[in-house]
Amino acid sequence: MKKFAVLLLVLAMVFSFAACGGEKDTQVDVEPGLLRVAMLSDMATMDVAQTTDDYFVPMNVFDRLFEVKVVGDGVTDIVPSLVDTYSAADDSVTYNFTLKEGLKFSNGSALTASDVQFTFERLLTAGGVNDDIPLEVLGAAELQAGTADTLAGFVVADDLNFSITLAAPNAGFIAELTSPAISIVDKETFSEGFGMKIEETIGSGPYKVTEWVVNDHYTLEYNENYWGTAPTATKVVVNIVPDPSTQNLMYQNGELDMIDLGELDTSIVESTYKTKYADKIITSRRVGLTYFAMNANDEYLSDINVRKAIQMAVDRDAIVAGIFNNQATVEHGIIPAGVWGYNEDITKIPYDLEAAKQLLTDAGYAEGEVTIEIAMDSTSSSGTQLVIQVIQQNLIAAGINAQIKTYDESSWLALRNSGEMDCFVATWTMDYNDPANIMYTFYGSEAKTKIRSLNYADTEVMARVAAASSIIDDDARRAEYQALEEIIVIEDAAWLPLYENTHLFAIGDRVADFTPHWAGYTNFYAIDMIMK
Amino acid sequence: MLKSIASRIGQTLIVIVGVAMLIFFLLRIVPGNAVATMMSEHADAATIARISAELGLDKPWYVQFWIYITGALHGDFGTSYALHRPVKELLLLSFPNTVKLAVLAALVAWIIGVLAGIVAAQKKNGFLDRIFMGFSLLGVSMPVFMVAMILQYTIAYKLHWLPISGGDSLKCFILPAIALGWNSAGSIARLTRSTLLEVLQEDYIDTARAKGRSQMGVIVLHALRNAMLPVLTMMALQLSSLLSGAVITETVFGINGIGRLAVDAISGRDIPLLQGTVLFTTVLVVLGNLVADCLYTVLDPRIRKEA
Repeated sequence: MKKFAVLLLVLAMVFSFAACGGEKDTQVDVEPGLLRVAMLSDMATMDVAQTTDDYFVPMNVFDRLFEVKVVGDGVTDIVPSLVDTYSAADDSVTYNFTLKEGLKFSNGSALTASDVQFTFERLLTAGGVNDDIPLEVLGAAELQAGTADTLAGFVVADDLNFSITLAAPNAGFIAELTSPAISIVDKETFSEGFGMKIEETIGSGPYKVTEWVVNDHYTLEYNENYWGTAPTATKVVVNIVPDPSTQNLMYQNGELDMIDLGELDTSIVESTYKTKYADKIITSRRVGLTYFAMNANDEYLSDINVRKAIQMAVDRDAIVAGIFNNQATVEHGIIPAGVWGYNEDITKIPYDLEAAKQLLTDAGYAEGEVTIEIAMDSTSSSGTQLVIQVIQQNLIAAGINAQIKTYDESSWLALRNSGEMDCFVATWTMDYNDPANIMYTFYGSEAKTKIRSLNYADTEVMARVAAASSIIDDDARRAEYQALEEIIVIEDAAWLPLYENTHLFAIGDRVADFTPHWAGYTNFYAIDMIMK
Repeated sequence: MLKSIASRIGQTLIVIVGVAMLIFFLLRIVPGNAVATMMSEHADAATIARISAELGLDKPWYVQFWIYITGALHGDFGTSYALHRPVKELLLLSFPNTVKLAVLAALVAWIIGVLAGIVAAQKKNGFLDRIFMGFSLLGVSMPVFMVAMILQYTIAYKLHWLPISGGDSLKCFILPAIALGWNSAGSIARLTRSTLLEVLQEDYIDTARAKGRSQMGVIVLHALRNAMLPVLTMMALQLSSLLSGAVITETVFGINGIGRLAVDAISGRDIPLLQGTVLFTTVLVVLGNLVADCLYTVLDPRIRKEA
């Protein structure tokens, strides 16, 4: 028995030695200009018409007509990308564009106005997930319905010049053109293999895809035909590493040049990254909103008193402080901070448990009578799952019988899209910097509110939300959106805005600087990663 | 013997057909909608109907079943909804990695397990017996993910002896194979020890000893062959289950294998991919069992005689 104990002790010492010793041997034999990053899952496609998640290749291999540039904390500017100059007619319906001269795709062929036209028409007819982006162009609905062969509002004058006519004025149109969804593709090389075969996925951006080993890694290399300044990261290898803990070890071992801390457990971020790598952390606002949805068709939630009581019963400050260590900010409206039109003076929803209880009592409900089910997607992040648990406890404290039911992702989506989900917590991240992207998506029509299980009933408000896109005067438009936010969130208590997250990244020793995507996406522009 | 093997092959075919039917119908009973998952935010009723028609999901179940079965017989499992690639291509891409991992893990398990079992039996209740059985108990009771993370942290991160994750080379598979094989090694060591101890009590072992055989000679030439019969069955079962995918090991070490493919298919309600992975792994498992049964018949004269 003694010998056994001695052997165990020796083994323990060996492991301890391994755990304590061995200084990391980083940056050995890494080729200059190579950027190594990791993602949890592989892309399903490189075709942006078919995805709203896999934006890394579209953002880096293709260009848009315009891009969003970060000019300060929460401040962005829209700058021309492929476009050299543009002008809007007085009616704000017709826009004239001139492309930069000498634009080329990575295969050497010229990028012309016809390619832009093809991109618009193809996006509308591809039957994919982004076919609603250019819908406001004149004739888009007809093209999509098959009653027209071409997009009537898109007129090509010559290789460099084209005009786009909208069906109605739309103040957010230029902002919409910054969306990765409208990435310009090469009409000549476009084929059935587009998005799936690297040799048939041709763009004009700073990179071209040179390798894709499914579920293992893919490689991007500098496109020498790129019109802009060459990136300092001339080669990017994206490794597919499904386990965040493994990513953590790889970063600390010097095998990754950047890690997305949003994927790691917050305790690791707090204990390791904010101490050992504090000077390596890059912070970005994740422009968007996490919200608690309440279905207005539900037996209890159809009563505005119940919805208002829920709004007051949830302690959002405690959620932000306790779960996110204040790496998030409480939101009060619909338009999140960092988006044009954000109203920091919107009426705040107070946390008042007693008032919530009183409201339910006054409305005639006994303790525990109001019963709701909070649907949780099993694939939600650990943070979101904790938030749901806190909300449940807050609601129980207010006398509401709140139950959490966990669904697999597919069932969760199917139930939500049916318009029959009682309550849920979800996050919307902005596609482009215009309030219409969130206001219209959630409250623009009966179909829109139903598909998100909100079932908001005020058709007059919905009509105003839809019409707000057409207000050209900035001040008038901002005022209209802010008035609508007050009606929807405060007067009608249609949903409970929760918080906007902060997205943290950590860069490695080989990286000098990094500017994340303006909306804090996990996907980023590799050209904004400055290598030493 | 041939009759017995033929009967087992017949039973194997029935199991495969049964699983093929079961997976088809189960996937159509469980809640959730593949198209809704695919289209996410854009899943209005018209879009779901259009995509469902494009994928043939609006056809009667018997038509869908016929397409599925006839396709499967030709090795065509359709195209993955989520990954937009033929399921066959995805399986062929993942399978070599799974085979590499499974075979290495099995070798780790078999070599370490059998040797540890023999030594433990020979040194019954001795120091080495206690050490090996202690380790086998750890192997059996420690979750794979924990073993994987300990190996990753000590061997790869701190000592830099092997890669943390990813890669195609053999050395990239060493840690995953040890993590995966350790559990099986524990079971094999315990089983080898107990069966060997049982066989060593038999009369013919005494006879062998009386003839002057050394202890090692007795074990290797006489006892081991009989003791290995249940161990062999366990080995075959372990190999076939390892080939059906080691989800956790594949995830922790970033290996693109069948297990990860199946989990992705389940969470995305990717029907063709799920049908393909389940059917593919079913065939592997039942074939593994069939091989074990056949080997058993060959190795055990009693069974051969009965057959």
